[in-house]
Amino acid sequence: MSFSPNSSKSQKITLPTSRETEWGKSLSGLINALEPGPTELDCFDWRLGCRELKKLISILENSGLKLTRVSGNIPETMVSAAALGHPTNLLLTTNEKNKPTPSQTISKEENSQKLLFHNGTLRSGDHLSAAGDVLLFGDVNPGAKISAGGDVMIWGRLRGIAHAGQNGDLKAKIVALELRPLQLRIGNVVARGPEGQPEQGLAEEAKILSGRIVIEPANTKIPKA
Amino acid sequence: MAPNTRIILICSGKGGVGKTTLTANLGIALARQGVRTVVLDADFGLRNLDLLLGLENRIVYTAQEVLEESCRLDQALVKHKQEPNLSLLPAGNPRMLEWLKPDDMQRIVGMLAKQFDYVLIDCPAGVEDGFKNAVSATKEAIIITTPEVSAVRDADRVIGLLNTNGIKPVQLVLNRVRPKMIESQEMLSVDDVTDILALPLLGLVLEDEQVIISTNRGEPLTLKDNISPAARCYANIAKRLQGENIPLIDPAKAGRGLRDKFMRLMQTKIF
Ligand SMILES: Nc1ncnc2c1ncn2[C@@H]1O[C@H](COP(=O)(O)OP(=O)(O)O)[C@@H](O)[C@H]1O
Ligand SMILES: [Mg+2]
Repeated sequence: MSFSPNSSKSQKITLPTSRETEWGKSLSGLINALEPGPTELDCFDWRLGCRELKKLISILENSGLKLTRVSGNIPETMVSAAALGHPTNLLLTTNEKNKPTPSQTISKEENSQKLLFHNGTLRSGDHLSAAGDVLLFGDVNPGAKISAGGDVMIWGRLRGIAHAGQNGDLKAKIVALELRPLQLRIGNVVARGPEGQPEQGLAEEAKILSGRIVIEPANTKIPKA
Repeated sequence: MAPNTRIILICSGKGGVGKTTLTANLGIALARQGVRTVVLDADFGLRNLDLLLGLENRIVYTAQEVLEESCRLDQALVKHKQEPNLSLLPAGNPRMLEWLKPDDMQRIVGMLAKQFDYVLIDCPAGVEDGFKNAVSATKEAIIITTPEVSAVRDADRVIGLLNTNGIKPVQLVLNRVRPKMIESQEMLSVDDVTDILALPLLGLVLEDEQVIISTNRGEPLTLKDNISPAARCYANIAKRLQGENIPLIDPAKAGRGLRDKFMRLMQTKIF
């Protein structure tokens, strides 16, 4: 087997299915099988927090692998990866599909998972709906809608309609890198979006304070590694 | 068989934003570059591609007879007199809407792809059956919109549908751009539009009354070495489609340079 260093196809390292063994043991074998260079990390069904993932990634990078992307089928792991600034790819297992078909409402009522993760911009007419919290990597364009039983988190610009706590949870909140919605709803409280331009580079969050929806700089507590 | 045939759907969502005008002008412009091009009128309800091309009176058969196998494809194709590299496959009567299926559309386009390098499909407005049929037969798409909030919104919706159908690439043409209105912030700017639609910009077409004049005559602007602003825009779009690297015009500068002023003067004298 050979990898040409310039080949556009990058190699991939896949964490083993079994998690009984300690990382250190299985990892060195996996790393040794690879050439230094661009590598995708497939976390498979490993649930990794920011701290663990950071440790793992630093081991990989110390052995000369350059991480191109982190993939896996656990949303939490992808969130950690995104928080650490890596491109992510949520792999879907066959019996669940996270990608909505436009104009169809996607509900995930029966899903035991608390967080629905969606990669990609919602365009006019799309509606993404989650039973629990929802995390979107992409924009919500004017005419599109995102709603959740819990929090709505948008790693992008919110310019359509967002509804958090759609079953009446008044503690739910809406967070976006740029919060310029047409309309915001939390529980049964409705507010029109703010006019004027937001401050650049400042994530904002909307929540209910004494019965009214207010927008303020987001509480971006990224877990310390 | 030409496996490299480019099958391009020209669509917008909203009606009246310039799909048919773009299809006609692009068809002629490509044909003039020497590539075998066919334009297919898939807007059965509101057909008028034949009119814009000045071919209305030469239609004998349509896509309908081809599908019913009551004529051959080459009998239905109408060749443009001045630009023989361009053919039109006319739309059948509006009742085709009732029975046409994606399969039929794929069959027609498949036949055209054997003979032509470019198949341009003039798509009906909306996102209903007519649109779905057209999408089922296409590989790539050009979205055309005007810098108006409602047109951009509809375009966005259509882009979403094209994406889920795996149409690639989808490129953007911004039509009826008025530099003065953008400058005075009465109109969405190019950036405003591309910011929302997030598509590569294939070209801008300036607002130009020559478009209306040429429509009424049934002579697309690109038919002659026309110096009108929109004609240049259409020609550039055709070149970019062919892979040429033509820089985009800057709407802030368009129509304001000395040369443009001079051109306008010339034109007012001609027409
Ligand atoms: N760049 C332009 N400048 C001026 N008028 C235009 C321009 N593009 C289109 N038009 C006019 O807009 C109208 C609608 O165009 P058309 O191509 O028929 O739209 P569609 O096929 O999308 O319904 C026509 O009257 C046409 O002449
Ligand atoms: Mg039309």
